[in-house]
Amino acid sequence: MTHPIQLQGQSFQMHFSGALFWVEKSMLLISDVHLGKISHFRKYGAAVPQNAVQQNFEAMTMAIEFFKPTKVVFLGDLFHSSLNKEWELFENWVNTITSEMILVSGNHDIISPLKYEDIHITVISELVLDSFLLTHHPEERDGFFNFSGHIHPAIKLSGLGRQSVRLPCFYKTESQMILPAFGEFTGTYTLEPCDGCEVFALLGDSVLPVPIKEVKKKRSFRKKSI
Amino acid sequence: MNREELFNIAENWFQEQQWKPFKFQKDTWKAFLQSKNGLLNAPTGSGKTYALWFPIVLNYIKKNPDYKTKHKKGLKAIWITPLRALSQEIKQSAERVTSDLGTQMTVGIRSGDTTTKERVQQKKQMPDLLITTPESLQLLIATKGYDKIFKDCSAIVVDEWHEILGTKRGVQMELALSRIKTISSELRIWGISATIGNLEQARDVLLGPESKALKNSVLIKANINKKITVKSIIPKKMETFPWRGHLGLHLLEDVIPIINNSKTTLLFTNTRSQCEIWFQKILEKHPEYAGEMAMHHGSINKETRVWVENAIRNEGLKAVVCTSSLDLGVDFAPVETVIQIGGPKGVARFLQRAGRSGHQPGKESIIHFLPTHSIELIEASALQKAVKQNTVEDRMPHLNSYDVLLQYLTTLAISNGFYPDEIYKEIKQTFCYQAISDDQWRWLLNFLVMGSQSLQSYDEYKKVEVESDGKFTVTNRGVAMRHRFQIGTIVGDVNLAVKYQKGGYIGSIEEFFISKLNKGDVFTFAGRNLEFIRIKEMTVQVKNSTKKTNKISSWMGSRLTLSAQMSELLRNELYSSSEPLENQSAEIRALAPLFVRQRRESIVPKPSEFLIETFKTRDGYHHLFYPFEGRFVHEAMGSLLGYRISLLSPITFSLAFNDYGFELLSDQLIDIQQVLDNDLFTIDFMLDDLQKSLNATEMARRRFRDVAIISGMVFTGYPKKGIKMKHLQSSSQLLFDVFRDYEPDNLLFQQAFTETFEHQLEEDRLRLSLERIATQDMVWKQCEKATPFSFPLITDRMSREKLSSEKLADRIKKMAALLMKK
Repeated sequence: MTHPIQLQGQSFQMHFSGALFWVEKSMLLISDVHLGKISHFRKYGAAVPQNAVQQNFEAMTMAIEFFKPTKVVFLGDLFHSSLNKEWELFENWVNTITSEMILVSGNHDIISPLKYEDIHITVISELVLDSFLLTHHPEERDGFFNFSGHIHPAIKLSGLGRQSVRLPCFYKTESQMILPAFGEFTGTYTLEPCDGCEVFALLGDSVLPVPIKEVKKKRSFRKKSI
Repeated sequence: MNREELFNIAENWFQEQQWKPFKFQKDTWKAFLQSKNGLLNAPTGSGKTYALWFPIVLNYIKKNPDYKTKHKKGLKAIWITPLRALSQEIKQSAERVTSDLGTQMTVGIRSGDTTTKERVQQKKQMPDLLITTPESLQLLIATKGYDKIFKDCSAIVVDEWHEILGTKRGVQMELALSRIKTISSELRIWGISATIGNLEQARDVLLGPESKALKNSVLIKANINKKITVKSIIPKKMETFPWRGHLGLHLLEDVIPIINNSKTTLLFTNTRSQCEIWFQKILEKHPEYAGEMAMHHGSINKETRVWVENAIRNEGLKAVVCTSSLDLGVDFAPVETVIQIGGPKGVARFLQRAGRSGHQPGKESIIHFLPTHSIELIEASALQKAVKQNTVEDRMPHLNSYDVLLQYLTTLAISNGFYPDEIYKEIKQTFCYQAISDDQWRWLLNFLVMGSQSLQSYDEYKKVEVESDGKFTVTNRGVAMRHRFQIGTIVGDVNLAVKYQKGGYIGSIEEFFISKLNKGDVFTFAGRNLEFIRIKEMTVQVKNSTKKTNKISSWMGSRLTLSAQMSELLRNELYSSSEPLENQSAEIRALAPLFVRQRRESIVPKPSEFLIETFKTRDGYHHLFYPFEGRFVHEAMGSLLGYRISLLSPITFSLAFNDYGFELLSDQLIDIQQVLDNDLFTIDFMLDDLQKSLNATEMARRRFRDVAIISGMVFTGYPKKGIKMKHLQSSSQLLFDVFRDYEPDNLLFQQAFTETFEHQLEEDRLRLSLERIATQDMVWKQCEKATPFSFPLITDRMSREKLSSEKLADRIKKMAALLMKK
């Protein structure tokens, strides 16, 4: 279900849903939910199945019930676009949650902060906690470890027999961790592993550290003659 | 005027040109003037345009005896062409007729190239004769008051119907015709088709099965026998000729004497990138051709293409490297020789290309076949036979394309609006939707209005609305505008315009290629070396570069496959390698060294044998099967067999296919004996297993992309407004997942599977192949290393399919993310 990781002497739990739990602070980080995306598409005449709308709320509830955090911090792109009727569903959902909620706003978050304030969600541009910096866009800042989203990271795994699989992942470098996109119908962007980075893939019901293998360069068949 | 008088007008005109009308031309005139519909089977360059332009004009003369002094305005006829590049040529022949006969008729073109100004003018006053494409015809139906435009239209001619028939543009044509038939009481529908296997069916589809139009119709065959000679270019040293590859550059020098010995030579390549490479390489090796050689493909700008076409006509060029862009239309008298580089994958296409040469009546057409790798010589030999026996393949029409129907209904809704009962009757008359049920129709209407089958709370779905009298319309301007941009069923990768920074259009290129380039990279395009600067608003900005490069622009293009008839010929050619020399063709004899190598590790199968090879390389365990049935059957058989093996124990495959066989590659060894003992090639439960294997592979997923775009569920973006394909790509993939998880019974989702089934996997052919294999002896060769037959398959890295019965968690245990060390 979860996978533990120590960062700067603090304990964290990566959840298979894509959420990250900060144990000492009892804080749950969720990135890129893109609520309202399905409704947005439908409003513009693209008939994405409506039933999928509920999935985002159910998954958030499940992660919150699992960790019972005092705070929930959304790392941006909570809503995909301008107000639509999914906002009402969101309001109803917020009423069922007792944790305090903060939105670190992202490029998609164009809904007025006042609307969020009405339902007691604080909107800020970034959050600094001890030596941690929480932002939507990945950021390098001296002396800080950065949590971010925005990228929707995924990783490609390869094996013998020309096999390969792409999975959404937590992508950690020395001073950064990029969270996977939490929302349904959001898509991913495949990142290459880098020197000294660690990758944790989401498997649907678990989180798996991905082994990273160094290879020289792509093998290629040389032209053979008979 | 009676018919005789009208005929006299036409025949006088022919006499003035010192021509004589062919019988098929006169037959067509007569049938048309008798108000008949029909299909004319005539090859390019036979005078087919005059077969139908004449009666259209004669019919006007008949109805307007004062035609020389008075002009009765309004649309009289529509000429549909699949390639807008051909419209200019068609317009010229039409104008020649209208003006020589002294009518005041006007001829106009309406296509993607037509300016807004011209469109507006046309809307005010339609030309008498309109030349257009299937998409532009749909766009006409998408304008308010379209019924007035078509009211007095006396004829629709669909040119090159064989090219459109098996595609969704064909379905678009069927739908447009079903509507115009109702609007115009005097309409005649005519198709022009090259020879295909199912000509009768082609007529059914055009006119509607069991329709009144079909009952009042004729099939006219031109019967112009043309002598076609096929010559294979056989490598002088077979020993150094490659086992795989698709470029064919090894034989470049053999092409030179052919070019030198004829006035003008066309070199047909199968892809645009191959075309670019050949052009480049010939000039590199033979700079003396500079100025005498040109390149022609669909992504080069229109001016250059027109220039090349004119230069061919004026005998200004020695050689032109081209793609299917020169397959159709356009008569080029000076072309004496045609060279086909690589397998044409179809006899009809090969014949059509051969027909580009020796255009004058009575002259023979010569086509040289240049193989790109050893085994293609077998294909060359089979082609020779096919041409001799006149074996031509079928073009299979689509059935129940819900995506095209939804697009069409939205089109009707944004123009005049429609009443379902009226339209339902019309579409039931078409070939494509003859079997549609009341339930399916209701489903589609619900989907248009609600985006689902029941009204849900919190839903803001908006597209088509129902007025109080039951009329379906679109009132939202945004919906209408997006739909107009979306009309068209040919779905390709997004094309970006390539321009110099200072301005000057060079051509268009697929986004997939440009996405791999970085600033400063140099690539070859349209015969020039260009440095990539940036992408700005769907335009690729470049500047000339003198740097050398190995990056050559490439296009994905569609994959082609061998037809059933071609596959059979191919097998027979292969089998002949075991026969005495005198029974072998020159090509097969030339392949002797390859067969020797093949026999060292394995065998060359006889008619009674089915060959299976297994061996291991550092890529994993290779299992190769050789049915020689063409790519599509192999895709089906490979998936079927892979699926059945995966039931024995958890396993994951990577599958590769070509026209000769297929490969199952795995990290585990398959016990072939077990495959044979369990009778995994059986026909029992074939359909069921095939269906399940479809779920295990990604084929339907790829089909779904087109369905999602055509039905308007994925928006492709406004031209030149910078909404990129990347966004669309991922969303049609995402959409597939969401449908699979939340709405698997959606008809459009289902369509992706049915289409894969009917158009890709060719279920019927698979059944026949399995029946044939059941009569063969299985020969399993455990080889030490790769054989010549296996080589093209095991080295295919691009177009592989996946199939797995292992748990994801178990698969991942054996995998790693790769970190590339520089």
